[in-house]
Amino acid sequence: MITIFKDKKDIPEDMEYVELNDIFFNQNTVAFIDKQAERIIETIDNAELIGKYKICSRFNDVTLDIDRLSTGCKTVLNVLYYPNKVFCLKECGNNALDILYHFETGYVFSEYALIPFSMDSVIARSKSGKKVINDYEKLKEWWDIEK
Amino acid sequence: MKSRPLVMDHFSTVHTSFILNFRFTNNITILMGDSGTGKTAAFSFIRECMAVNSKILCLNYLDYQNDIRDMIGRANGKLIVIDNADILLNDDTRKYISLDEKNQYLIIGRNPKNLFATKENLFELVSKKVGEQTEFTIKEYL
Repeated sequence: MITIFKDKKDIPEDMEYVELNDIFFNQNTVAFIDKQAERIIETIDNAELIGKYKICSRFNDVTLDIDRLSTGCKTVLNVLYYPNKVFCLKECGNNALDILYHFETGYVFSEYALIPFSMDSVIARSKSGKKVINDYEKLKEWWDIEK
Repeated sequence: MKSRPLVMDHFSTVHTSFILNFRFTNNITILMGDSGTGKTAAFSFIRECMAVNSKILCLNYLDYQNDIRDMIGRANGKLIVIDNADILLNDDTRKYISLDEKNQYLIIGRNPKNLFATKENLFELVSKKVGEQTEFTIKEYL
């Protein structure tokens, strides 16, 4: 399950936090793109991975460099291929969140609640400790109320 | 917040096989929705127009190191288009935008905090095939 931070101060010093998912993907994650990414790219961006660095766009079936993936899709792929870094969650749409919240591992950060309607258990991590939450309302409450 | 567009109520452009046709009903338009719907592509088509249209100012993650509040504070009579707004705009800048009477805004992001937005400010992108072209418009976000 993924781990969520809601305060940057709670991210351990030995863990890198990445806010600019576009740049991190373009410079790092892209090198690891493999079969695992196909379904994610198809589901979120409705695009087809046709080569290591190429996608076929949902618009007009044109071939594009993989840097044209959406930021939400790049964020999900960053978490997939770098499960020990913490990535900013704020630029994920609901379709990206849907996939991310079913990951077996990974770390994300946002000060405010970003929760898909369908979610597996997640680890909510704050200064008061870790707790496993598997319910939309309880997670929202943790994000909004518990300081 | 309901307020009429200060700079333009319509923006259109063409970029190869893409047509952009946006009608604005408010001074602050927040463009949200799922990932991968074409929001950043639309941004890139508008940014292209910056070269020939002095009424347009575009900002995105490449401006991360810049003082966004200062940049928009110096703008006058512009449609300011901000992609990656959820990481670029801090609370102070959001409050400034909500009260700015000199410029109009198209904000691409999902967090309306401190923009004093109501549902009248929230829009999503719609794409439609027109022959061999794709037309982007905006509609109210439900």
